[in-house]
Amino acid sequence: MITAHGVQSAAWILVALPLLSALVLLTSGRFADKWGHLLGALVPVALFVYSIFLFFSVKGQSQREINLDIYSWLPVGGLKVDFGMLIDPLSMIFVLLITGVGSLIHIYATGYMAHDPGRRRFFGYFNFFIASMLLLVLANSYLVLYVGWEGVGVASYLLISYYRNRNSAATAGNKAFFANRVGDVGLSIAIMLMFAFFGTTDFSKLLFSNTEFTKGVAAAIGLMLLLGACGKSGQFPLQTWLPDAMEGPTPVSALIHAATMVTAGVYLIARSHVIFDASPATRTVVVIIGAITLLYGCICGCGQDDLKKVLAYSTVSQIGYMFLAAGLGHGVYAIALIHLLGHGFFKAALFLSAGSVMHAMNDRIDMRRFGGLARVMPWTYGVFVCGFLAIIGFPLATGFWTKDKIIEAAFDKGGTSGWILGICALLGAGITAFYMARALIMTFHGERRWEDDVHPHEAPAAMKWPMVVLALLSLVGGWLLVFGGGVQHWLTPSVGGSVEEGVHTVNPTVLSILTLVVVAFGLLGAWLVFARKPVPVEAPVGVSVVTTASRRLLWADAFNEAVLMRPGQWLTRALVFFDNKGVDGAVNGFGALVGGGSGRLRRTQTGFVRSYALSMLAGTVAVVAVLLAVRFQ
Amino acid sequence: MTQHDFTLVALLLIPLVGSVVLFALPEAQARLAKWIGLAVSLAVVVYTLVVGIVFDTGADAKRFQFEGSWIWIKSFGVHLAFGVDGIALVLIGMAVVLVPCVLLASWHVFDGDSHEEAVAPARSARKFFAWILLLEFFMIGVFAATDVFLFYVFFEAMLVPMYFIIGSFGGPKRQYAAMKFFLYSLLGGLLMLASVIGLYVTTGSNSFAITDLIGKVPDNATQKWLFLGFFIAFAIKAPLVPFHTWLPDAGAEAPAGGAALLVGVLDKVGTFGFLRYCLPLFPAASDYFAPTIMILSVIGVLYAAFLAIGQRDMKRLVAYTSVAHFGFIGLGIFAFTSQGGSGAVLYMVNHGLSTGAVFLVVGLLIARGKSRNIDDYGGAAKTTPILSGLFLLAGLSALALPGMSTFVSEFLVLVGTFTRHKGLAIVATTGIILAAIYVLYLYQRTFQGTVSSKVEAFKDVNAREVLSIAPLIALIVFLGVYPKPVLDVINPAVKATLSDVHKTDPAPVHGITAGGQK
Amino acid sequence: MTHLFASGLLAADKVQTIPLPHVGYRALLPIFFVLGAALLGLVVEAVLPRRERFAGQVIITIVGLGAALTMVGVNHNLHVTTPSPGDGGSFFAGSLAIDGTGLFLQGTILVLAILAALLIAERSVETSSIVATAALVVGSPEDRRLARTDRVQTEVFPLLLFAVSGMMIFPISNNLILMFVALEVMSLPLYLMAGLARRKRLLSQEASLKYFLLGAFASAFFLYGIALIYGYANSVDLPTIFTAVRTSTKPDAILYIGLALLLVGLLFKASVAPFHSWTPDVYQGAPTPVSAFMASCTKVAAFGALLRVLFVAFSGESSNWRPIIWAVAIASMVVGAIWGVTQTDIKRILAYSSIAHAGFILVGLVALTKDASSSVLFYVLTYGFTTLGAFGLLTLVRDADGEATGLAAWAGLAKKSPTVAGLMTLFLLSMAGIPLTAGFVGKFTVFKAAWHTAGPLVVLALLFSAIAAFYYLRVVVLMYFAEPPENAPTVALPGWSTTAALTVAVLGTVVLGVFPQPVLDLANKAAASLIG
Repeated sequence: MITAHGVQSAAWILVALPLLSALVLLTSGRFADKWGHLLGALVPVALFVYSIFLFFSVKGQSQREINLDIYSWLPVGGLKVDFGMLIDPLSMIFVLLITGVGSLIHIYATGYMAHDPGRRRFFGYFNFFIASMLLLVLANSYLVLYVGWEGVGVASYLLISYYRNRNSAATAGNKAFFANRVGDVGLSIAIMLMFAFFGTTDFSKLLFSNTEFTKGVAAAIGLMLLLGACGKSGQFPLQTWLPDAMEGPTPVSALIHAATMVTAGVYLIARSHVIFDASPATRTVVVIIGAITLLYGCICGCGQDDLKKVLAYSTVSQIGYMFLAAGLGHGVYAIALIHLLGHGFFKAALFLSAGSVMHAMNDRIDMRRFGGLARVMPWTYGVFVCGFLAIIGFPLATGFWTKDKIIEAAFDKGGTSGWILGICALLGAGITAFYMARALIMTFHGERRWEDDVHPHEAPAAMKWPMVVLALLSLVGGWLLVFGGGVQHWLTPSVGGSVEEGVHTVNPTVLSILTLVVVAFGLLGAWLVFARKPVPVEAPVGVSVVTTASRRLLWADAFNEAVLMRPGQWLTRALVFFDNKGVDGAVNGFGALVGGGSGRLRRTQTGFVRSYALSMLAGTVAVVAVLLAVRFQ
Repeated sequence: MTQHDFTLVALLLIPLVGSVVLFALPEAQARLAKWIGLAVSLAVVVYTLVVGIVFDTGADAKRFQFEGSWIWIKSFGVHLAFGVDGIALVLIGMAVVLVPCVLLASWHVFDGDSHEEAVAPARSARKFFAWILLLEFFMIGVFAATDVFLFYVFFEAMLVPMYFIIGSFGGPKRQYAAMKFFLYSLLGGLLMLASVIGLYVTTGSNSFAITDLIGKVPDNATQKWLFLGFFIAFAIKAPLVPFHTWLPDAGAEAPAGGAALLVGVLDKVGTFGFLRYCLPLFPAASDYFAPTIMILSVIGVLYAAFLAIGQRDMKRLVAYTSVAHFGFIGLGIFAFTSQGGSGAVLYMVNHGLSTGAVFLVVGLLIARGKSRNIDDYGGAAKTTPILSGLFLLAGLSALALPGMSTFVSEFLVLVGTFTRHKGLAIVATTGIILAAIYVLYLYQRTFQGTVSSKVEAFKDVNAREVLSIAPLIALIVFLGVYPKPVLDVINPAVKATLSDVHKTDPAPVHGITAGGQK
Repeated sequence: MTHLFASGLLAADKVQTIPLPHVGYRALLPIFFVLGAALLGLVVEAVLPRRERFAGQVIITIVGLGAALTMVGVNHNLHVTTPSPGDGGSFFAGSLAIDGTGLFLQGTILVLAILAALLIAERSVETSSIVATAALVVGSPEDRRLARTDRVQTEVFPLLLFAVSGMMIFPISNNLILMFVALEVMSLPLYLMAGLARRKRLLSQEASLKYFLLGAFASAFFLYGIALIYGYANSVDLPTIFTAVRTSTKPDAILYIGLALLLVGLLFKASVAPFHSWTPDVYQGAPTPVSAFMASCTKVAAFGALLRVLFVAFSGESSNWRPIIWAVAIASMVVGAIWGVTQTDIKRILAYSSIAHAGFILVGLVALTKDASSSVLFYVLTYGFTTLGAFGLLTLVRDADGEATGLAAWAGLAKKSPTVAGLMTLFLLSMAGIPLTAGFVGKFTVFKAAWHTAGPLVVLALLFSAIAAFYYLRVVVLMYFAEPPENAPTVALPGWSTTAALTVAVLGTVVLGVFPQPVLDLANKAAASLIG
């Protein structure tokens, strides 16, 4: 851990600059509408340039954990939190991903949002997201990380409910925020545990000082961190918000809900690998969650007619892969991160092309209303195909390098658990191929099914070129990432070395052939079902239980509604009643009691002298009696 | 003990004189009166700022500063004794900052102006401003008093202006609300009076000066009784569940400005009282009752949050949220840790600013919709984007978003509680989910979704209205990013309080030395 | 004269001469002034033509009371006799105790009496609040005719003066017989005065009759109590009783029955529950200024006497009579607070408030200390000012048939007359015991004094003052937060006398609330004489 110098000591602008431009965009009035989006798009580009310099300055030195203290934030008693940044290989790759892909998507958005009245506001939110996300990955303590963590949450909330007069958008935004808050509870508790047990939340003290984590403590903290990660990354059981988040404009889906924010959970686990390494039990939970989620995502992906929903579920499942890998622990973190980067490329590409389709189809997104678009928008088609090849792991495309590694690692875990996980991962690959092929066919192939009022057209340049760049990245990116184990070695100081030298349960070559076969089956299935007969414009009813299950998202939402929402509403109503009638009732009741008592008692004031005299007499007798009683007790 | 520093006396006199002038002015001079009122409140802000800068936060600084003491009623040993420690200072700061914002926001409210809150028939804005300034005088006094009797006097007298603010400027049910508020608080106050007298009698020290009384109360049953007297009074003010039901009525019926001060400042007197009087004067009793109080606080956090979610009347909703927030403050105070204590104090400040902002914004919305019923709104963001922005910012501060000061205090409270009572802290933490729900659900129902016909006609906020909210939000954000200056003021005072209760922070289980190695 | 009397006695039994008691005339001057003024007033009634009478009476009354007050001031640290058994015989054969306590009480009574007189002297609001001729059948043609003239039953002033003289003797009498005489001297005029209302005459006469009958009833108890106590102690001198109680070996049942009956008589005057039942009806029926006079001065005198009886004669027995005081104190608070909640007439509300306050004052009597007695002295003063002020304001709010004392009539009064509403609020807040008013300081002193001996009682008292606060606040709510009714009453502009009285009352309420120290010192000094 060395202190920043030179170009590194300016790292704070990574957060300050986008924050500032967000402030400008959101507070400056209409007159900024003209140039607002340009400013918004310029900022991430500038940051990308800066982070390249930063990257090389970090690369240029042997000791690559650089600490940058900015100011003392929370000094209270034993708790001393400084606002500072940690620049190390791990945060560096994230900075590059966020600013790089971020820039492309910003540029794309200038085209996509061109006709939107709220464009300036959109870019304000977008820059705010960049700032928060960079703070998240650059933080040098869990508490500062939490600030970024919540920041991206808010940005995501704002952008999901960007079309604010659309009820579904508002609801989706809330759903996302609430799910994230559930995760945040975990993260907060984790931070409290850290303070209670170690008196600090700094990475430098907790993660870079060979701090001994006893199994119990590590498990407690690890599980709480995991809860946070699940919330942010849409993992089981907090996955349901992510597909709804597609209510936001497509660039948002691409940047926040595919490439960057939703992968923060993986970052958190990788960052805290010391803690997870110390608790095998926790890692087991991680892999289980990963496995469940990746299958869940695949299955739900098959039943969606909304193109973006399909992609959303594929995101869920791909992040499932990453969790699976991260859970495998020492040595596999790097693989998880590499897949994260690769996924960042191809999922962005897929979303942007989907966005381009929406843009062309008057914001319609129902694939049953598409078809045959390959002819009218070849570029978009090309991009989508590239992304498609990448995600299914077509030989030499990104997925082939990154995802297959995870499948391999799953098998290599060894033992029964290893086999189970491996088969899950393998199965996932097959289903992924199936639903992606389905999406590709329904959207771009077959006969045209859209109404006459729609006139599909190729995307404008501002949208086209970013797509193309991402398409290329999704083709060759994976190879670049694994070439000579570059990224592996780069990440080693942060998350530990690779497992290349470990013994394999299944021979890698055999395994990749096996994978390809499974994938081929998936593709074949899709072709048989969707390519050979026309796609009905209305979703057919009376379908197989599997399809229904997939369409109903395996009843996840139904479950949440029945188990959380309804009872919550009942509880609320009950409590409101109790408070008004019970607690406040007691207060008013006392008043009523006094009033009523008074009303009755005042009748004793008859106005008749005789009764007054009688009362006096009675009083006198009482006084005499008491006095004597007291005296002669 | 007989310093004659006039700093605080002057601070008290400015608003007092101001309010007298405003009362004296003829109704015809209403416009002038408003400007005078605003000028006075701003003068107070500036003056307080100076005091805050002069305040010594050094290691060897005195606990109470700017002490001035004059004999008032000799035969009771009552002094007009003023002085501030860090806690009092920041609370005074919060209070005086809130006042000009309230005045600005209420500028046209009572002129029966077409486009602002006019729940009550047009009333004299001059009188309202005068009452507010008088209230400011009492608010400063209650925090600055260092003599228990004097504190009690301010504590009770403070009811009168608020009673009139609710009663003469409030909503349809204002008579009921004002009466309930006054009687409930008075009941608590009188119980406290019993304890004040008891305190005087049992300690035998012919003085009410807090510094003379600390550590004098014998540790026995009497101490518990005396504690309860103070505690109930403060619990009602704060308010702690189950003594809270006056607040939703008062908060809902009071004019937005009044509600902001009622919930933002007056309620803080309760929690301030815990720190300033309950803990130092009755350490043993505080320790004895702490578990009960903390459990009540946690219940309050969740219970009130649920109630907030269930409200139809947005002002009641906000009132309930502050009941929930009080739970956190109580938790922090009775956790007896420096994080908990400082967090609680900071929480009081932040909550004052935050809930003040929320009430004012809600007021602005109600002023347009002429209704407190949430269902009457919807999609307002379309017609009033700026207002919706302000609303969202205020709301996010209420749900303790990191980067805003409320997060800092909430985190400190939770972490401070956690080091001593893990279970309670964890339960309380789940409150942050509910907070998100009641804030964003309210925002959704008012500003998002399809635009209701009534909302179509709304005019967005004007410069004055923005000016009445923006400073609060700016302050909230600033303190969220850089709370150190305030914490430096608070920490010593909290430390002193904790030493009064003979408490020290629990050490980390496996402490890591600053060096990095354990 | 005395010789003849002595010789008469000679016949009765053997050689016994009764020494002439020393008489400290200077100490008696205040009383003489008041009595003198009263007698002068009678002469005036006889000689002055009707037109000048009223003015004459007013001047005589004010001057007389003023002179008496001045004299009390001059005498303030002259203690002609003290109740202590030692020099009991030195002056007035020990039958009068003109000590600090006595003087303080006399001063208080005189100040309040002057204010009351000023209220009675009001003529600009209407002809007067006093009837033209009390001795006519209500509603008879003559009565109706006179009601329209500006005739006034000016005898009210001498009556007031006689009552005052009685009140001045009551708390300084060191001898039960004398105390009884004083009681009657002060009561009889009050019975009459209660019946002198100009409006609502039937109600007024009813009140007068009720007060008389019940008063007589109470006096009988009082007298019987004296008899029993004499039977036990062979004396009616308080100091002698004190010693007797400690030394005597007789079975003391009769002593306690006697004490009980004695207390009944006193508590009746102090309108303490359960001997309060007359209070609301009489306060409501009597002319408002007279109600003010009764509510303030009578209470002062009664508590003065109670103080003397309990602290001088029976201080040795405190453990035995304390429970009674507890009981009646609680009873008064309950009645005052609870009954009052649903009253709809402000005069009755004030009546119940006075009952509740009697309860609070009794709390002070529980503790047998200097603090206690001084707190009682202070409290009665503050209460006097406040209640006088409140009644005084009632005289100003009027509708077709006189004062509008119904609650409903006061709705929205603040709009019509901010001053009246404001002052009323001040007095009500003082009664509720809100800080910075006299009422608060009074309560504080009393409760502080009682805390040690009667902590729970103090807490109870505070709770009941919270309940009582409800009906004070209800008036405020009406005045400020309610809209005025259709036939809203008019607010008369007070004449010089009412203005003066109200001004003093307000000053008293505020000054005693904000700078009570001087008066507190006075009360402490005064109380020293009663208990060392």
